[in-house]
Amino acid sequence: MTATGANPEADLSRPAVVERLARVLGPHRVPGRFKIVADTSDFFRVDYHDVVILGQTPYLISTCEREGRFGLDDEPKHWVRRATDLDSGATVILKMVFLERFQARVGGIVFDCYRSPKKEARILDLVRGDLRFMQGRWVADAGGNVVRILDYIRGVRFDDWVLERAADHQRYFQSHLREVLVIFLELARAIAWLHEHGEKHGDIRRDHILLDRERGLCRWIDFDFDYVHHGESMAGYDLFGLGSILIFLVGGGDVTLDSLAATRPAVVDRLRPEDGHIIFKNRVASLRKVYPYLPGSLDFILRHFSQGAEIFYDHADQFLADLGAAIADLPAGDA
Amino acid sequence: MNEHAAGAPASKQERRLLLAVDGSENAQRAVAYVADFFASLPAVRATLLTIVPIPAGDYFANDTERATWVGERQEEARQMLATHVRILTGAGWPPERVATQIEVLEVRSIADRILEEQQRGGFCTVVIGRRGISRQEEFIFGSTSNRILHMAKDCAVLVVE
Repeated sequence: MTATGANPEADLSRPAVVERLARVLGPHRVPGRFKIVADTSDFFRVDYHDVVILGQTPYLISTCEREGRFGLDDEPKHWVRRATDLDSGATVILKMVFLERFQARVGGIVFDCYRSPKKEARILDLVRGDLRFMQGRWVADAGGNVVRILDYIRGVRFDDWVLERAADHQRYFQSHLREVLVIFLELARAIAWLHEHGEKHGDIRRDHILLDRERGLCRWIDFDFDYVHHGESMAGYDLFGLGSILIFLVGGGDVTLDSLAATRPAVVDRLRPEDGHIIFKNRVASLRKVYPYLPGSLDFILRHFSQGAEIFYDHADQFLADLGAAIADLPAGDA
Repeated sequence: MNEHAAGAPASKQERRLLLAVDGSENAQRAVAYVADFFASLPAVRATLLTIVPIPAGDYFANDTERATWVGERQEEARQMLATHVRILTGAGWPPERVATQIEVLEVRSIADRILEEQQRGGFCTVVIGRRGISRQEEFIFGSTSNRILHMAKDCAVLVVE
């Protein structure tokens, strides 16, 4: 079978693909049966050990990605596949086109969301070379689908890395919080930069930050979510995400009323409704009431995301300025 | 009813009012307020403006789907404005003092687009209905009426609760 839509200069005949497979995997590990797929419209038909042709390059398909790296709760994402570039031998992530529309519910707010391969492709072009973001390129396959070819990031989720260090909050505060927030400040700057260029991340969650162990830096992943109408604030939903992550980082995890009731009931007594997260009411936002050693400058930011907030951040720049000032008030730590 | 903006003032005494509406109950209240409050003032002309934000181009699978979506929303807007116009004329507004304007477009801020229209058309008053969104919604998506109140220049703003 000869793939259609491939580079006419590249020999992508089946024998040529087998030869490449043998070169990358070794002659004894070439799959006995596999399809060569040039049109990924029906991504469910792309099976383990099939070869997908994108532009000039064949990719050997392996596992589906799951939540924690890309996507929905622990379900395999059949349109997101780990693969091997049979030209370079590199491991990549292929994101095929899955056009999904759904209603998101955040707190009591319901709004229409959708998955946009074109948005993600556009942002990949925009952030090329900026390692605060995942890197990759996109190719229109033989069916015209915008398939994203992402560099595989070897590392761990940033939130998991933080949780490992935050078992004892006071020690975390003294030793690690400054380092954590310096990292986060750079990530927030990256989002501000996106906004300045007319884009939004669209799905800022703490599991969408990976700590790239090879490069020793944190990086945003997954830019394909968008929502139908952003109201008066294009940045608002991203800022909400940044605020929620900041609260998690400062608390060294989610500080909930339930967890406090179980471990520190006296603290619960001094909390007021206005100290709760403006959206997630079981989470505490004004964390200085839980951890009195937190500087006021940091609590000032957190209270922007509390039920008692009198003003909200409109732009990432305001958030960045306050965060930079608050970091200066933190202990130098072990770093 | 005039098909588009209410045209140049017929006289120096004429006052032009921009009534920004959607299909909400609050917009209906704003229309009812204008119908009642201004009907007896012969020098007031009203333009009913509705802005339908089109999702970014990424939302649509192709141009045909986009065109269908736009066509459906335009028709909904036409019907909605016809209802609002009937409220005004029913309260005694002469049809020639009422114009309508539909804008279906990609827009970052409805408030900014309303205020651009206010400036462009020289409207002395902007009337809007407050949707009464929650603090949570305002936190994430902002409030059109609040933004108009903060950003409006050279005009009066009436927010109808």
